[in-house]
Amino acid sequence: MVNATKGLFISCDIPMAQFIINYNNSLPPSQKFIIHVLDGTHLFVQQHAAEMIRSAISEFRDQNSYEKPT
Amino acid sequence: MGHGEKSHRPSKKHKSSAKESIPVEDYEAYVGGEELDDDVRGDGEVKKRDFTKLELKPDHMNRPLWACADGRIFLETFSALYKQAYDFLIAIAEPVCRPESMHEYNLTPHSLYAAVSVGLETQTIISVLDKLSKTKLPKEMIDFIHGSTANYGKVKLVLKKNRYYVESPFPEVLKKLLRDDVISKSRIIPEGANGNGGFTISKTLGEIAADSSGLLNEAELAAAAEEKETHAFEIDPSQVEKVKERCLPNALNYPMLEEYDFRNDTVNPDLDMELKPQAQPRPYQEKSLSKMFGNGRARSGIIVLPCGAGKSLVGVSAASRIKKSCLCLATNAVSVDQWAFQFKLWSTIRDEHICRFTSDSKERFRGNAGVVVTTYNMVAFGGKRSEESEKIIEEIRNREWGLLLMDEVHVVPAQMFRKVIAITKSHCKLGLTATLVREDERITDLNFLIGPKLYEANWLDLVKGGFIANVQCAEVWCPMTKEFFAEYLKKENSKKKQALYVMNPNKFRACEFLIRFHEQQRGDKIIVFADNLFALTEYAMKLRKPMIYGATSHVERTKILEAFKTSRDVNTVFLSKVGDNSIDIPEANVIIQISSHAGSRRQEAQRLGRILRAKGKLRDRMAGGKEEYNAFFYSLVSTDTQEMYYSTKRQQFLIDQGYSFKVITSLPPPDSGADLSYHRLDEQLHLLTKVLTAGDDAVGLEQLDEDVDDIALHKSRRFSGSMSAMSGANGMVYMEYSTGKNKNGKGQMKSKPKDPAKRHHLFKKRFA
Repeated sequence: MVNATKGLFISCDIPMAQFIINYNNSLPPSQKFIIHVLDGTHLFVQQHAAEMIRSAISEFRDQNSYEKPT
Repeated sequence: MGHGEKSHRPSKKHKSSAKESIPVEDYEAYVGGEELDDDVRGDGEVKKRDFTKLELKPDHMNRPLWACADGRIFLETFSALYKQAYDFLIAIAEPVCRPESMHEYNLTPHSLYAAVSVGLETQTIISVLDKLSKTKLPKEMIDFIHGSTANYGKVKLVLKKNRYYVESPFPEVLKKLLRDDVISKSRIIPEGANGNGGFTISKTLGEIAADSSGLLNEAELAAAAEEKETHAFEIDPSQVEKVKERCLPNALNYPMLEEYDFRNDTVNPDLDMELKPQAQPRPYQEKSLSKMFGNGRARSGIIVLPCGAGKSLVGVSAASRIKKSCLCLATNAVSVDQWAFQFKLWSTIRDEHICRFTSDSKERFRGNAGVVVTTYNMVAFGGKRSEESEKIIEEIRNREWGLLLMDEVHVVPAQMFRKVIAITKSHCKLGLTATLVREDERITDLNFLIGPKLYEANWLDLVKGGFIANVQCAEVWCPMTKEFFAEYLKKENSKKKQALYVMNPNKFRACEFLIRFHEQQRGDKIIVFADNLFALTEYAMKLRKPMIYGATSHVERTKILEAFKTSRDVNTVFLSKVGDNSIDIPEANVIIQISSHAGSRRQEAQRLGRILRAKGKLRDRMAGGKEEYNAFFYSLVSTDTQEMYYSTKRQQFLIDQGYSFKVITSLPPPDSGADLSYHRLDEQLHLLTKVLTAGDDAVGLEQLDEDVDDIALHKSRRFSGSMSAMSGANGMVYMEYSTGKNKNGKGQMKSKPKDPAKRHHLFKKRFA
């Protein structure tokens, strides 16, 4: 019996994949969005998670970048 | 406006007289605010930096700079007048950012104070500025210059026969000063005070500042002498610094000038020393000295030259021009030796006239004048001394020094400065530093503790002239490996974050690759810096290279450095923070930085300074020479981690000096498989376990003092205090460990029993 799930295929670099996995793990079970970790750089996640992941990543990146105070 | 403040805007000090009754905010707000309050209209409409009102002069093409109403000045470095304009601007304004083609400067009260103290007059400043500006000089700027300089140069602090006098040709100014509590308390009233408000009146050789008829000859001010009546009162030597502080622009606004008329000083014996003929000061060294001795007298102040640009020659030249006893203060025993050596190298001073005073060598000079080289710690040390050093310190205390030469003024805590300056009586103080910047606001203290900044060299100009090495700066991006990044993200590892990104196997491989490349292909000498002791040991052990850190003994240090300098087999040395400042390794021309002290801009600059000493033949170094770059500065950064944040912040100071960082992403090359360590996954995992099992203390920083720079973690912090704070550096963190602390504990200042002689009189009885 074949089960088909509609989802989002994410392709990224190794650290970002780890970041997403870590983010997923930090959520309560009901909100977990990763359907399958395909390999080091590819993930299959639920469709609605895209925006959430994007904002989490952009927040993370902001923390790590320095802007010269003006 | 970008700052989100709408209702109330800090007003600029120089516009405090403006129509709006905006209260004058403190100095902080003054520097912090960049707004043009002229543009604040009744309806609150604000335009930022709208310069449309400025009028261009018809011949603006020939003029090199733009002057803006908010005190900022932009200089085109491609202008034909650049050199002259630069010399002028550096005297009157604070450099903010100096990239290749456009420099930014800022007029501040302090910078104008410095300008006045090197002999520039208000009118000269305005007229020269007007000549150079492409636009009509904004009225605000003229007012500001007038406002800040009106009172400057009216009061002088003079040391005569070991007593301090406040001198002024205007008795009413002195009376005004005496109305201040602090000053009147510190006054020593002579017995038998008579009329005239008790001022001592004397005839002195006044000076007429040179006319600046030429466009820009202010550097070669000729001084003329004239009989003038001077009024003076004596002040308590221990209060001198407080009095000076009261007179600064943010208080009474009568900044004192300190000058020393050494040629006419007959009281203090002359010291027989000349510069040797082979000591040829370079143009910029000459220039900095001419600022100091502009009118035939010696002025106190600070000279800022990049590391490796020959600060010691400037110091020695100053001493041999004054030709009086000189007290030279350095940060640690190693630099004491270096200074003593420099004095002997550049000047004709006889060996018996120079002596070192450290915990190891207590020499005393014979004769009545000489040069004493010692450390800040030795002079400021409050505890019990040996009988021998007590005698020497007594001698230092009682002597009237012609010149107090202070090295690396940026690292010395203000407290210690106060003590040193209180103990030693000197006619003239010269501070030397490469990075006159610290983030803790204390940099402005230096203005009254030592004096204004007399000269600051432009790094890029020195590079072009071949005086310092041309450094290729590079930031190497090392991606985190999967396992390390997974651990990095875990909350429970928050304390180990640093260890994880420093020990990132990709970083290790990049480091190994670079060491190999430079050792084998170019035959370079490499310094690897790591603040993190755990990483330092791991890297050094794995790569089998010698390392030096805080606990390394003096003997071992010397041995390793000697081997590094002379041996062909030792081409790489690992250094912890101890190597930042004082270790002089002229041979090294490559720096690889694997971990650093958070966002400290000064550390970055100081580390770069280790390789700035010019290398190779001069003609290869000049523009268009054989080698474009002859020194390399690599900063290895693990991407996607905090390190990226720090790294960008750290680079700001160097970027402001005009350096650019090249980003390298493909190191080590993908084909360098098993040649380098940690190729296999199990090796990497082994390393990971090692990092994770090490205690939190072990993987932390080499923590030796409180960390002033922690504030750096707050994003978009607004710097205030002065422009110097903008150009970046951090606190006084680095100085203690490389000094005698580990050897004999003498360096420690805290919690030592006080010298009984200095106890408060109430307690003297108790302990007697």
